[in-house]
Amino acid sequence: MARYGMALDYKNCINCKACESACKEQNGILLGADYHRIWVGVREIEGIFPNLSIGSSSFEPSQCQQCDNAPCQEVCPTNATYYDGNGVVRVNPDQCILCTYCMQACPYDARYVDDRTTTVDKCNFCSDTRLIQGETTTACQATCPTKVRIFGDLDDPDSEISKVLRDREYRKLKEHLGTRPKLFYLT
Amino acid sequence: MNVSKILPYKKQTLKSFFTFEFTALNILMFWLTIGLVTTMLWGIGAYLVQGHHAYGVTRQHAWGLLIAMYVFFVVSSTGLCIMSSLGHVFNIKSFQIIGKRAIIGAIITILTGFAVIAFEIGHPVRMVIYNVLTPGLTSAIWWMGTLYGMYLFFIILEFLFLNNDNHKYSKIFGLAGLVVGLAAHSNLGAVFGFLVARPIANGVFFPLYFILSAMVTGSYLLFLIYGWRYKMDFPPEVEKFMVTLAQVLGLLLAILMFFEIWRALTAIYGDMPERGDIARHMITSKRFLIGEVLLGMLIPFAIIVVSKGRAIKAMVYASITGMVGIFWMRYDLVDDTQLAPMLPLKIREYLPAPGLTEYTPTSVEWMISIGAIGLAFVMYYAADKFFDLDHKTTI
Amino acid sequence: MQTEISRRRFLQGTAALTVVSVSSAAALLIKKEKKHAIAEYGLEKTKWSEHLEEIPTLCEMCVNKCAAIARVEEGVVTKLNPNPLFPKSKNMLCARGNAGIQALYDPDRLKYPLIRVGKRGEGRFKRVTWDEAYEHIKEKMVKILDEEKDNRSTIGFCAGEGMAEHTYASFMKEKIGSSNFVNHSSICLATTIAGYTLTLGGYGQADLENAEYVIMAGANRAEAIVTPDTMDIFKRTRAGGAKLVVIDPRFTNTAAHADTWLPIEVGTDLAFVLALSYVVITEERYNKRFTQENMSDFEAYKKHIIDHHYTPEWAEKITGIKAAEIYKIARDFMAHAPRSIYYQGRRTAWSQQDYQLRRAQAIFTAMGGGIDQKGGIIFGKKLPLGEHAINSPSYDNAKERIEKNKAAVIGASGSWLAWRNTVIDGTAPYPVRAFFAYKQNPMLSVPNTKKTKEMLQKMDLVVVIDTMPSDTVMMADVILPESLYLEREDPVKTFGGAEPSIALRKKVVEAKYDTKPVIEIMRGLGEKLSKPLFEISKKYDEALLEEIAERGEKVVYKEEGYDLAEGYRHSQETINHHQVASVYGEEAWKILREKGVFYPDMDRYFKQKSVNEYQYYPEHKKYYSVIEGDLINEPYHDTCVDTEEIAVLKKDFRTATKKIACALYNLEKKKGVDAMPTWREELYTPTPKGKFKFITGRHAQFTQSGTANNALLLDLLPQNHLWINKHIAEEKGIGLGDSVEVTSSIGTIEITAYPTEKIAENVVFFIHGFGAESSELTLAHHRGANDNLIIEDQYEKTFGSAAMHETIVEIRRV
Ligand SMILES: Nc1nc2c(c(=O)[nH]1)N[C@H]1C(S)=C(S)[C@@H](COP(=O)(O)OP(=O)(O)OC[C@H]3O[C@@H](n4cnc5c(=O)[nH]c(N)nc54)[C@H](O)[C@@H]3O)O[C@H]1N2
Ligand SMILES: Nc1nc2c(c(=O)[nH]1)N[C@H]1C(S)=C(S)[C@@H](COP(=O)(O)OP(=O)(O)OC[C@H]3O[C@@H](n4cnc5c(=O)[nH]c(N)nc54)[C@H](O)[C@@H]3O)O[C@H]1N2
Ligand code: SF4
Ligand code: SF4
Ligand code: SF4
Ligand code: SF4
Ligand code: SF4
Ligand SMILES: [Mo]
Repeated sequence: MARYGMALDYKNCINCKACESACKEQNGILLGADYHRIWVGVREIEGIFPNLSIGSSSFEPSQCQQCDNAPCQEVCPTNATYYDGNGVVRVNPDQCILCTYCMQACPYDARYVDDRTTTVDKCNFCSDTRLIQGETTTACQATCPTKVRIFGDLDDPDSEISKVLRDREYRKLKEHLGTRPKLFYLT
Repeated sequence: MNVSKILPYKKQTLKSFFTFEFTALNILMFWLTIGLVTTMLWGIGAYLVQGHHAYGVTRQHAWGLLIAMYVFFVVSSTGLCIMSSLGHVFNIKSFQIIGKRAIIGAIITILTGFAVIAFEIGHPVRMVIYNVLTPGLTSAIWWMGTLYGMYLFFIILEFLFLNNDNHKYSKIFGLAGLVVGLAAHSNLGAVFGFLVARPIANGVFFPLYFILSAMVTGSYLLFLIYGWRYKMDFPPEVEKFMVTLAQVLGLLLAILMFFEIWRALTAIYGDMPERGDIARHMITSKRFLIGEVLLGMLIPFAIIVVSKGRAIKAMVYASITGMVGIFWMRYDLVDDTQLAPMLPLKIREYLPAPGLTEYTPTSVEWMISIGAIGLAFVMYYAADKFFDLDHKTTI
Repeated sequence: MQTEISRRRFLQGTAALTVVSVSSAAALLIKKEKKHAIAEYGLEKTKWSEHLEEIPTLCEMCVNKCAAIARVEEGVVTKLNPNPLFPKSKNMLCARGNAGIQALYDPDRLKYPLIRVGKRGEGRFKRVTWDEAYEHIKEKMVKILDEEKDNRSTIGFCAGEGMAEHTYASFMKEKIGSSNFVNHSSICLATTIAGYTLTLGGYGQADLENAEYVIMAGANRAEAIVTPDTMDIFKRTRAGGAKLVVIDPRFTNTAAHADTWLPIEVGTDLAFVLALSYVVITEERYNKRFTQENMSDFEAYKKHIIDHHYTPEWAEKITGIKAAEIYKIARDFMAHAPRSIYYQGRRTAWSQQDYQLRRAQAIFTAMGGGIDQKGGIIFGKKLPLGEHAINSPSYDNAKERIEKNKAAVIGASGSWLAWRNTVIDGTAPYPVRAFFAYKQNPMLSVPNTKKTKEMLQKMDLVVVIDTMPSDTVMMADVILPESLYLEREDPVKTFGGAEPSIALRKKVVEAKYDTKPVIEIMRGLGEKLSKPLFEISKKYDEALLEEIAERGEKVVYKEEGYDLAEGYRHSQETINHHQVASVYGEEAWKILREKGVFYPDMDRYFKQKSVNEYQYYPEHKKYYSVIEGDLINEPYHDTCVDTEEIAVLKKDFRTATKKIACALYNLEKKKGVDAMPTWREELYTPTPKGKFKFITGRHAQFTQSGTANNALLLDLLPQNHLWINKHIAEEKGIGLGDSVEVTSSIGTIEITAYPTEKIAENVVFFIHGFGAESSELTLAHHRGANDNLIIEDQYEKTFGSAAMHETIVEIRRV
């Protein structure tokens, strides 16, 4: 049992989309931008050529925040969305009725409809495709060229993620909503 | 066992069932109903073939016209239930005539609502199973669904007893229906109100607003039902009731407008992201100004104020605009909630940064939603044929 | 086995799959009729399987060759993961690397040998056996060589970069005996390789892991991925220890990581570097000791720069970069030297002055002392491999390459443009009548597609070895399908650098179709051609006849290498085994096969440092400084303290003078090439008002033209778009997604517009590699635009390298 989280050294991100490709391959995601369990957001640069503000342009890799207090879980009428033993918010497709309420509830737009099962799906930290086989990395993390992603057990004080979170400053997305996300953006 | 014992009904032959007076209005309604039902079936066919892709819904705007229409119908139902309870539950004199017709209306509208949402929920059968097996007790949808199920059960019983002139039980189940209905209804409001992700919807406003606007809706529907029933030629006690209804409606509209104004002000005040901007967008949209405000509130309100509630024939017509306005209220409720993109960054190159989420219902959605009104008409026609929905002059 | 495709490709039909991203605005930008295809593809979840295998291999989706571990479930590759053992790829696979699976299971792949039946280029082929294909080639070759009196050079050939490029090129060059070889060099990196090698004695490797100040001018490492550079630099930009200055007319993803980004007038980088040099020289900020000990003709160079008044003010007028910025960058650069690098760049086939630009860059970096030094440009070490020799016959009648005198120095890999134009313009001393292409797609990758087509039309025989029905393949007479990289073992390769290693591409799955790796194709061709071609040599080659008269035909045939298949008969695995085991022993071979990577002491050195990072060599074992030299003994100088310790080493660089060459007088004398970098106004193409200079380049999710049919990648970017400055676009009434026509002196293309602040007002750009004509490429066909339809076939006159950024275009909304 663990409590998995991911720290993102997002300033190193080059928007190469290796993570997105790896996730699609590993987890069998339909192609199409709408089927996105992982993405890299681009903040459009400000200014007028040639006076562009470099600082204003950034790449923000993201995915399900694995909220400790997940609105998507709270609103699910059939408990199809649940917390697994590792604190990962997951979806049981057999139980999902496709009411898409979770899509309304998620503040991060982290859920999408899988057209093959016609249920709602999301990032699950590769729980069923990697962690279950004893892997200790997620597909998106392993493949990243600039090593943006640090995945690990937040409950283990010796894990790298715990250390990084102790040593470095970070922010979380839309924290004010009380979702208690487990994705940490290192600053 | 004899059905008519439990539920006294008028025997019909096929012929008698389809016999109606050939007035121009009736013939118009006949074809309108046929047209609407066909449209709905057509829409359903398209949905069965293409699934959700037949709809204009997207990841960012997952709820569309069908949800709005579902809300429209269930609010109508609750409204009718509340208004009828004023008479036979709360014994308000002039409302006592409306019992059966309103309750059957409530049953029909909620059934129509369920019919619509069955084509929105991806797995309705699975829903029934897992609602029971693994109930999501923190889910407003679960509560709403469950309570509306109970509500339907209670008002059916209420109708049964009313039909049997068993006023004791009809009152008990009427009360039960009302309480559960109100609970269900405020939970429907909470379905939106609980969305912390959506500041524009989040808060206590929707649960309360839903009750209030339900009563307004119920009133409009009563005008329409009675206008149709008596073809504008009202017996005195009905006329008396309708004047009272108009006055009550006037009051409700006044409160509703008051609510709306404060809602808009609080939403815009402080300019909170994803709330102030959305509210501003919302109250300047044509749908809001023409649909909600003008058709839904101002026209009926003006007639009531000017005539002091006496222009009941005009109110029947105004109730049509009123219901159109109510429709846009439901549409806006669903649409506005989803206007702010949850992910404001672009995730593909060569695109503009995402602005407000866009949604346009497809023809299939329109077919199912608007067609569903025909379904309600059919049920109402049948109910009128099988049951005696008129009040007895003495109660 | 037939089910494999459908496992990966869910065909349209299930209603749910028909429409993809209904709402996604991406659809807006794709023309309606093109929306179909990608939606048909869906990927399948990896799952736990009894027959799970993990096989190390190397990626070949681009030039980098990252180490991968293929996850194979019941004979199907379901995932490619990075192999952390490889120091060059540092535990990563990019988007294209991940998409290798799509390349493997692409239903459009070439599946068996084909022979053309219709007119050339018409696209009608019939399936044949390998033997029939070889037979067809033989008949044509025999006829040509007979008519051309055994002039082997009448068989032209080209190759794209790849691990087996040498297998093919050696066959064509050594065994068939033609001198007319062209490869990517002259359309890619010839000028920078030459510039740096002639100046420093090697192109070197920028030590971006340790550099403190890096100027990347016209190199886009965030999108044009080069390993390990891409990984090294961006872990340290944005206040992470490396200052990055990006000089690019576009604001690229690399610029997004820069401390300073300066747009420059296209084609004026040389003026910029000369001005930087001017500042450093006049302010005497260069590393005096290093320049004195290690640079030849530095005094002359100083004088040259000063005498020409290459001042920042002068450069400002040319480059558009403010003089103040130039002063600042020059000073900052030297303040961080020797850990300062003017990055070499890779694709440098840009302008007429490219070679001198690279020389100037190299000299500028050297002035800071950052050569063969940690944090500078290093040469590293390469682990040697055992030999695999090929016995090449000599053909008396084979002639020199046809474009030999079209530029000052034309090397063995030729000048693509000069060569092709010589074939068609009638200036060739003899006809080139056959053309072989391996892993290259000149129809899309060489400027002026029309002329490439014309060249191919002139041939009596066109043979193409490829994996996909590319535009070039469609022009072929004989198509020989190669197995995909995941289906073959390729020549083992050694990768030099500060942390050298040897890596192996092992076969991951059996070939799915009737395809072969190139070594087997060469073997087959060799067996078919040896005897008949020998007969022709016997007819025309007098030297050979003399030999035969002396030693007998059998002996000569055997010993002089006329058996063309010899050298290709062993399996690739056997050859690799020999090359590794003969140097490092059997154990090394075992490790290499098991792990995919080997270097001495790997078992001791390799350690996981963190969840993502690994140590390959301990710091003190890394090969930063490798050039031998003398320590100059001066009592006051403590080498351990001085960060400019390099100043006291007098090194023997691998140049003619053993010093970094500021002036190359020989080249001037013999070939008329400026001895020292000199700005030549007459070689610069200004952009007329109202027109634009067209530039081309990379995208992080595509490899040139080779990945244009990849469903997973197209999902990330469905087509290319024309970058045009927003204000200019507004003036012209061009909005996002509008169709525009781009016209140059040689052609017109249509493409959708992307108005943006991120590009200069007189420049337009789109990503290279799109716009395939081949209708056999279901997804790539007519998707986006082909830049080489409008890029003029200009080349610079030193090495004959393409000058792709000299084309002036006009834009019109359609
Ligand atoms: N306009 C313009 N032109 C350019 C460039 C540019 O930026 N703009 N870039 C230039 C540069 S830097 C380069 S390096 C060149 C590259 O030009 P090319 O060397 O032509 O490379 P690609 O365009 O990637 O085409 C590679 C071909 O090899 C095939 N292929 C892929 N894998 C295999 C394999 O395993 N075996 C075989 N037999 N074939 C395979 C692919 O199907 C494809 O047809 O283009 C140059 N041309
Ligand atoms: N993802 C990906 N990675 C690749 C490849 C690929 O196809 N895809 N190909 C590989 C190969 S073969 C190569 S050669 C390399 C190429 O790697 P690079 O040479 O780094 O990439 P390019 O995009 O060709 O060109 C780099 C930049 O030069 C800019 N530029 C154009 N003209 C000028 C100019 O006059 N002055 C200055 N300062 N800048 C200018 C362009 O805007 C562009 O951003 O990438 C390699 N890596
Ligand atoms: S793989 Fe890493 S660098 Fe690339 S887009 Fe994803 S997070 Fe950014
Ligand atoms: S990010 Fe969204 S989907 Fe993920 S756990 Fe939080 S609310 Fe649920
Ligand atoms: S769509 Fe599925 S997972 Fe989401 S709330 Fe409804 S039942 Fe739960
Ligand atoms: S953790 Fe796994 S499932 Fe989640 S985004 Fe990364 S690769 Fe996809
Ligand atoms: S950079 Fe990407 S495409 Fe190139 S070899 Fe590495 S993983 Fe493959
Ligand atoms: Mo290249």
